[in-house]
Amino acid sequence: MKKEILLGNGAIALGLLEAGCQVVTSYPGTPSSEILPEVVRFVKSDNLNTYAEWSSNEKVALDNAFAAAITGKRVACCMKQVGLNVAADSLMSAAYMGTIGGFVIISCDDPGPHSSQTEQDTRFMARLAKVPVLDPATPQEAREMVGVAMDLSEKFRIPVILRPAIRVCHARQSIRFDTLKDNDKKSAFEKDPLRWAATPRFRLILHRELNKKLEEIGKRFERLSPYNFHNLQPGRTYPLGIIAGGVPSAVIRDMLAEEGLAEDIPLLKMGAPFPFPEGLAGEFLSACEKVLVVEETDTLIEYLLRDRNKVMGRLSGHVPAEGELVPQVTHKILNRVFKELHLRPLRQDEDLEVTELVKGLELPVRKPTLCPGCPHRAAFFAIRKTRPKAIFTSDIGCYTLGLNLGVVDTCLDMGAAITMASGFYHAFEQDKVEQPIVATIGDSTFFHSGTAGLLNAVYNGARFILVVLDNLTTAMTGMQPTPALGIRADGSEGKAVSLERLIAGCGVDYIEVVDPYDIETTTQALKKAADYVNEPEGGLAVIIARHPCLIAYRDEAIPDKKVVMVTDDCVECNFCIERFECPALYHDQELGRTNINRMICSNCGVCIQICPKGAIVEREQ
Amino acid sequence: MATINMVLCGLGGQGILFMTRVLAQAALDKGFDIMGAETHGMAQRGGSVVSHLRLGEGFGSLVRTYSAHFLFALEESEAYRNLSFLAPESRLYVNTDARPFPREEVKAYLEKKNVLHRAFPAGRMAQDMGAPMSSNLALLGFFSAFGEGPISQDDLRGTIEKISPVRFRDKNLVIFDAGLERGLKERDG
Repeated sequence: MKKEILLGNGAIALGLLEAGCQVVTSYPGTPSSEILPEVVRFVKSDNLNTYAEWSSNEKVALDNAFAAAITGKRVACCMKQVGLNVAADSLMSAAYMGTIGGFVIISCDDPGPHSSQTEQDTRFMARLAKVPVLDPATPQEAREMVGVAMDLSEKFRIPVILRPAIRVCHARQSIRFDTLKDNDKKSAFEKDPLRWAATPRFRLILHRELNKKLEEIGKRFERLSPYNFHNLQPGRTYPLGIIAGGVPSAVIRDMLAEEGLAEDIPLLKMGAPFPFPEGLAGEFLSACEKVLVVEETDTLIEYLLRDRNKVMGRLSGHVPAEGELVPQVTHKILNRVFKELHLRPLRQDEDLEVTELVKGLELPVRKPTLCPGCPHRAAFFAIRKTRPKAIFTSDIGCYTLGLNLGVVDTCLDMGAAITMASGFYHAFEQDKVEQPIVATIGDSTFFHSGTAGLLNAVYNGARFILVVLDNLTTAMTGMQPTPALGIRADGSEGKAVSLERLIAGCGVDYIEVVDPYDIETTTQALKKAADYVNEPEGGLAVIIARHPCLIAYRDEAIPDKKVVMVTDDCVECNFCIERFECPALYHDQELGRTNINRMICSNCGVCIQICPKGAIVEREQ
Repeated sequence: MATINMVLCGLGGQGILFMTRVLAQAALDKGFDIMGAETHGMAQRGGSVVSHLRLGEGFGSLVRTYSAHFLFALEESEAYRNLSFLAPESRLYVNTDARPFPREEVKAYLEKKNVLHRAFPAGRMAQDMGAPMSSNLALLGFFSAFGEGPISQDDLRGTIEKISPVRFRDKNLVIFDAGLERGLKERDG
């Protein structure tokens, strides 16, 4: 028996393999990204046969996993909550068709949001697709729930969603576990076109079947202790009870225990909220005069409770309608409700003095920023310099931080740099206005969902410059390989897919590759591309700005390191600090000029090229 | 035994996650159950980073405000930003060059809450020793000199030896020891 501190995502990986999961597919996205690498780690350490794949996007991941599942194998696919939007088309249909082997979809939510474009609640997606959803409170529980989900899926032949929130995925917990064993179940595909290729007439039958499955699973969820349970004492009634699921249930259990209230304020923990255990909820409601619902991130349980007179929560204004329910927020919610109901308030240790004190200190605002030496910064600088009046459509990745350089105007969803650029083009073109547009998208994001938008733009005659910021990795989510590298999830060799050929295949006639560290060449390339976009015979121009990410390629990213310094030619114009925004450049009050923070400078030397006065130079050795 | 709550804060890239791992692993080896929470993704790129660690029983991974027994800060402003985590009678360890520490406004608050604070230029020490990114280990060494909390000097040192990547192991230990020595000097007046 080993005991290790595992990341929640590691505990989920462990649970998958303990449940005999034979195929795992994923597309990285915070907070889900570490599940697949942890699967690979366990597979290697315990010499298992499980297949792990970084798929090119979430829909692809789900389709691949679904096929393996209907051969009878136990299968999972993992993604972040907005990734499930991309895979929604597959999910809705897979719910009707069902599965043969256990099929678990892990969709990680991001209340806050910390690293996402929305705070959407995957439990609602489960409700929409009509599949069961489990909502773990801790890494250990997530590990157990994976097994529960796998069994449930296999028994009822239905996909099951596990939705861990970020405080499960990126929590760390000490976990005991044994050596893992292979599941040697073999694939078998039994043809059944009325199910696996069902036409609308048969979809009606499948829908009826799905509803029956949900009814049965709902009965099971009535007594799914310890994931759905309450601690009511028989015959006793209470002024207040709390219903909570997922992470908030963990926080509330701790809080009630600390306050010695665990017996007086009963808790209905709802770890499996859909299909909704009506009976269990009814029992709880009838024993409590009022019921407070604390759930992340939306109002699933609250909507499903029919009694509006007893229920307090988001709909009654007692729980904030947006943002993460961190312990201090939950503490505040409980205290407010306790006071309203004339119950003993929690220990009054909240202290507004310190909040005011910290506010008064005027601490530096720290916004996330591109790393020192990041090649995206150099590309953005050149883009702004050559096309200052452009609309800058961008995308999801580290380079969204090009916001700080004024070179990101839009960021809608994965791939929208290209689709919005063509949308802008046609909107202005209709008015006969020549509006310059520069789209920026990362390499991994382009592979994820760039091609459909690009071939559409080419086909429909949109004209803009697309800069693919190719840093040869999926940087934001932790350096997962892209299809261009020819490295697979387990580190083995795969076929490398050429970005240039893919772009050419979308019908693009103008493609140039530059190294963004060379600002002059990049600038010239952008000018030439702009000419091409405006020529009568021109069209859409693509520039691939290729330079390795400094984090992923620590030793190779800067072959020619330059120790830079600022000379007395510096006139404090602040151009470099404002336009280049490298965290290593700062205004030195004592010296009365710009200076370099050597602690964080990457010695990339790009800033030498951007100072209008030539005051940033390479130091003589 | 009651849960011991720790909060570690600093900037992206300062090694907050490694520092948390050392404390967590050392506590695990002592027989504690561990819960913690950390920052990944967008928030990690150069912004403020906060890591939570709870030793003992508990379901939640986050430390509530006013309930941290220890706050470790690898940057002075980040210490101030996270003051609200400090419980009465708690301990604050800060990497800072600033003298005096803390700022006047903060001093009164810490006194009122009976928070014992110790500041030391861990970053400068690490930089002078040729490892500017290792203020985390210097601060851990410094902390370990005072024998506070359940994790001893030897526990921490042993854990660093165990979990450091091989190419950093010796350097990590040298910096930890330098911080420790500095702490022992301060402890013994």
